[in-house]
Amino acid sequence: MQDFLELAVSATASGCIYGLMALAYLLMIRPTGIINFAVGEWAMVAAFGGHLLLSRWEWPYAAGMAVVILFMAILGSTTERMTVRPLVERGAPLLAPILALLGVLVVTREVISVSFPPDPMPVPFPFDIGRLELGPIGGSYQSFFIITVTALVFIGAWLFFEKTLWGKSFEAVALNRRAAALMGINLSRVTTLSFAGGAAVAGLAGLLVSPNVSAHYLMGVPLAIQGFTALVIGGVGRVEGAILGGLVLAFAEQLTSRYAPIPSGFAQGVPLVFLMIFLLVRPTGLLKVRA
Amino acid sequence: MRVVAWVAAFVALAALPFFLGSYHNDVYRKLLLWVALALGYNFLFGICGQVAFSHFAFYGIGAYGVVILLFQVGLPLPIAILLALLICVILALIVAIPATRLEGFYLALVTLALAQLFIVLLNEGGTVTGGAGGIANYRLPPIFGTRVSGPTYTLVIVALLMLTLALLWRLDRSWFGRACRAVRDNPEAAAAMGVDVARTKVIAFTLTSALAGMAGMVYAFVDNTVNPPIFGLENAFLILFMVIVGGAGRHAGAIIGAVLLFLLPFWLSPVVGHHHQLIFGALVVGAILLWPKGLVGIWDRFSR
Repeated sequence: MQDFLELAVSATASGCIYGLMALAYLLMIRPTGIINFAVGEWAMVAAFGGHLLLSRWEWPYAAGMAVVILFMAILGSTTERMTVRPLVERGAPLLAPILALLGVLVVTREVISVSFPPDPMPVPFPFDIGRLELGPIGGSYQSFFIITVTALVFIGAWLFFEKTLWGKSFEAVALNRRAAALMGINLSRVTTLSFAGGAAVAGLAGLLVSPNVSAHYLMGVPLAIQGFTALVIGGVGRVEGAILGGLVLAFAEQLTSRYAPIPSGFAQGVPLVFLMIFLLVRPTGLLKVRA
Repeated sequence: MRVVAWVAAFVALAALPFFLGSYHNDVYRKLLLWVALALGYNFLFGICGQVAFSHFAFYGIGAYGVVILLFQVGLPLPIAILLALLICVILALIVAIPATRLEGFYLALVTLALAQLFIVLLNEGGTVTGGAGGIANYRLPPIFGTRVSGPTYTLVIVALLMLTLALLWRLDRSWFGRACRAVRDNPEAAAAMGVDVARTKVIAFTLTSALAGMAGMVYAFVDNTVNPPIFGLENAFLILFMVIVGGAGRHAGAIIGAVLLFLLPFWLSPVVGHHHQLIFGALVVGAILLWPKGLVGIWDRFSR
């Protein structure tokens, strides 16, 4: 039981990372239908931003974090303006921006790989390394920090979509682009904002995970796939689905590698099997899409 | 007349390796295999409009399949080839039948997972797949009592490439090719005209996956080694990039894209070292934004 509770905290923390990655996809998919696999690389860029500001220049954590997130939002909206908007305006099929963003993925990764040495780069923890015990539940400071920040982000995202006019306009675009445009919603502004938000959330995930795994130019693709799997499990319809999918995935991953009698290497295959099964059998995810 | 052109192309491609040194011969063989892969992928992506990331995984399944069946199971060559091909076809059907029922990007996502899973299985396959080190030190069994190797084996690759091209060429001009283009451009209209959209997608995916598997079987005896890094996800992206840059939907585009992106790293390495991927990514973004018909489209514009 002790063992399980210990595992539960670290699984929840990684589930939060997957959930944030899934939210990054979701923010962009909902209004535009565009699956942007570059989110993994964006998380990687933010991790390197963290390395540069917090580790090399030793900024205070909060200031460094704020600057990195702001930079990511600018990067996301710039990417949208340069690669997605021209295609949407031309009336290109939806596949065109998805493929263009795959090109952006490769360019982003290679720019980082040219700019930094190939070794994993350290990113500092926001607090000292230590353990926090809350009754029977215990875990590292970083795990609790990840869980708290993620909870705040998801509450914020939920309030945004449910309570604000901006959030409602996102939903309207997701439901029917033409009707939303006719109602006076500025489609291109919604698209730019969704990419800025997606990049900021992906960047946050990269920044949160980087103290544990170090910043490395190949860290993006695994994060992109795990986040995507979480999104598929939870379903693209609702914000809550992203965090639910992330937690389901992380628990499945950690429980199989801890308790299932299979070699540890095979445990890497668990999320992939999950992804395939969900896509083939239940492509709408666990939660029902609201009418 | 057309037969003469095909025979001339075959003779020219097959004669070349006898004038090349062993290093250039090796580059040439891999170039031919990449062209064959790009041609198959172009049929799926460019002509039928389906995105899949499993093309290179099927190349690997073909290669590993034939090697395992020959040397771990001990089957004779013709049976090993047929069985490996059958495995590719069955796997492709298992993935494609449910994935193509749904609208949208599902085939791409399922095949992305499949490609990743394939690498995990290769690494964890123990003695069957040889784990991270793969399988090496085997030789192609004698065919009709003769050992086929060196420039002679290049003939096999040329034959594979020409057969792939001939088959896809014929298919493209057949009823099926037109059905594929209709499915790509407007599935609803295609369905209204009596095309079974899902079946067309499944057949196109299965056929091109089987062709990739065949190319993989031929590849298995080029280096006489198969290991997980060769079949990584990077190469699945590279095939897609080749077809986009060259010009999706055209056989000439696939050939130009494959030749260009395969040879580019050799020319660029003095300038950019190992960072040629940066140029590839920029080329793809540029191609999609500026010349959606690829290099073939640019050629068409100037030759008119």
